[in-house]
Amino acid sequence: MIGKWNELEQIQPDVYRMLKNSRIKNRVAHAYLFEGGKGTGKREAALLFAKSLFCEQITEGIVPCDHCVNCKRIQSGNHPDVHVLEPDGLSIKKEQIQTLQEEFSKKAVESSKKLYAIFHADKMTNQAANSLLKFLEEPNRETTAILVTEQVQRILPTILSRCQVISFKPLSPIYFKETLLQNGVSPSNATVISHLTQNLEEALQMNSQEWFAQAQKIMVKLYETLRSNPLKALLYLQEEWFAHFKEKEQIDRGLDLLFLIYKDLLHVQLDKRNQLVFNHLEKVLEHDALLISSQRLAEKMSVILDAKKRLLSNTNTQLLMEQLVLNLQEGSSFV
Amino acid sequence: MRFIIQRDRLIQSVQDVMKAVTSRTTIPILTGIKITATEEGVTFTGSDSDISIESFIPAEEGGDEIVEIKETGSIVLQARFFSEIVKKLPLGTVEMQVTNSFQTIIRSGKAEFNLNGLDADEYPHLPQIEEEKTLKLPADLLKTLIRQTVFAVSTSETRPILTGVNWKIENGQIICIATDSHRLAMRSAPIEGEEQSSYSVVIPGKSLNELSKILDDTTDLIDIVITENQVLFKAKHLLFFSRLLEGNYPDTSRLIPTESKTDVVVHTKDFLQAIDRASLLAREGRNNVVKLSTMDGGFLEISSNTPEIGKVIEEVQTETIDGEELKISFSAKYMMDALKTLEGTEIRVKFTGAMRPFVIHSLNDETITQLILPVRTY
Repeated sequence: MIGKWNELEQIQPDVYRMLKNSRIKNRVAHAYLFEGGKGTGKREAALLFAKSLFCEQITEGIVPCDHCVNCKRIQSGNHPDVHVLEPDGLSIKKEQIQTLQEEFSKKAVESSKKLYAIFHADKMTNQAANSLLKFLEEPNRETTAILVTEQVQRILPTILSRCQVISFKPLSPIYFKETLLQNGVSPSNATVISHLTQNLEEALQMNSQEWFAQAQKIMVKLYETLRSNPLKALLYLQEEWFAHFKEKEQIDRGLDLLFLIYKDLLHVQLDKRNQLVFNHLEKVLEHDALLISSQRLAEKMSVILDAKKRLLSNTNTQLLMEQLVLNLQEGSSFV
Repeated sequence: MRFIIQRDRLIQSVQDVMKAVTSRTTIPILTGIKITATEEGVTFTGSDSDISIESFIPAEEGGDEIVEIKETGSIVLQARFFSEIVKKLPLGTVEMQVTNSFQTIIRSGKAEFNLNGLDADEYPHLPQIEEEKTLKLPADLLKTLIRQTVFAVSTSETRPILTGVNWKIENGQIICIATDSHRLAMRSAPIEGEEQSSYSVVIPGKSLNELSKILDDTTDLIDIVITENQVLFKAKHLLFFSRLLEGNYPDTSRLIPTESKTDVVVHTKDFLQAIDRASLLAREGRNNVVKLSTMDGGFLEISSNTPEIGKVIEEVQTETIDGEELKISFSAKYMMDALKTLEGTEIRVKFTGAMRPFVIHSLNDETITQLILPVRTY
């Protein structure tokens, strides 16, 4: 969603100012860590900054032209002095860092500048992170590193201390909802989607997906089963739920939706009805809100978050969901 | 872009530049070959960003027309497919034409291929050459220089700078140094070209190996141009670019001992074969170590002992042994590598004690120096 400097200025004013000043004053740090939630424009900002360093027809000392050879090649991933590293499978492996190190032991191909960007830097294996460490410590002249991550707390502290951390602020869902409405997304969908992502492309894709519409219905049904007949919930999982949520990302999305329902419950309890995501559930939620203490509600929400976290590690998804459903039932928790 | 070209020349050029193209690259455009047609001829470029090879086919050579240029321009084509296609085309001439949106038609006889090309602007730019700043070396001498030094470069990535060969050019002389911190190879040679210019660059060992494969054993002069980031070797119609290594090469001049305590002159072949035999048993043990001791009557005793396998002792007749008695251990592999590069039937080995590095020269030729560090044994 950010393709130009002025858009970055609108969406992330602090980031914009920091990058601009370091570039104009010629005090570009040897390593940056872009940190912030999904869809806050980190990747785009990293590419923009790379372009700004390499662009041939730079204006105002910082704004890249976006149509010179270098800008075009950075955009298409063909610039020989700009290296982009992304997870190979689940993680960034030590070999990838070693190749990068080999590459950087040589002089640049065209100019004297070199830049590398590591996306999802939190997915580096420990060995990879430790190899990178030495590399970060002894930068060559004119080498810039950009590490991009959504989970800054998972970065090794030793790496963190060697980078200039630039925080991308989460966008307000309300602002994003406006954008979605302008793009022709229906109001009910826009509210849900604006809570799930902040990336416009992804949002529009979700909006048009049959799967996503179905997923919302199934998740609401799961919730209703849970409240009316908890014992049936396990059966429901087998009957319908697993047929629809197959991949890990899909389950993750489903858990997000479930979490939003419980969050709505909390909103009802706190009498903040204008913030409801699932408006059509208001009546049901109103009823349920009276039956549950806010402490118990918080517990349930943390159970969902816990399941989300466990999903990232290598778990059996079926067992994970069953455990979640058992824990969400009324009464004492099972596991 | 549109031209008609003779197929055998096309195959030759594509094969040459294919040597630089690798399939495993992070930069997508480098899986392609860049083809540029100008009024003078057609240029092919292949690169893996470390080395780049450019092959030029002139429009006309010796009165014969090789390429008929109809329209100038450039394109990047997938190397894997393009090289296979040109090899199997039916006729002696090939027509290539780029239509709009990088569609490329390759036509020969009745066969017609339509290949999707890529934008040539995306291809890495090779440095512009300033013709006047060139140095010249005959191809065979260049190959020898490489052969005599490049084997000694380090293979470990812990000190990347040592994976290259240091080329120092000053006072009309080129000095090549390679070391992996256990041994060192140094060769000097006179060089033609600009007298005043002086350079010190480090060229990756891998690039030099590739270069030496591409060059023919002729006495044709090769132009060498050293730029900020790359070094260029220019043969007839063939340009070889290599990136340089970043950093300063360690100062090696103080490592080479100037005086010696024991001087041995020995027949190269006999000595090499004896070391080779001794290493048969040593190879199994750690470090591949053989032991050398001076004996009375001008003999050298070469021995190796691996307790679990057995031992070997051999005496080698030398020409002369001057100076102190000596017992020294060293790696047989390093010694054989060094001996294989030396020219001349006899060599002089200069020792300065059992714990100090020793130097090997050809008897009458001081331009090449091989230095080996001994191994400490008890």
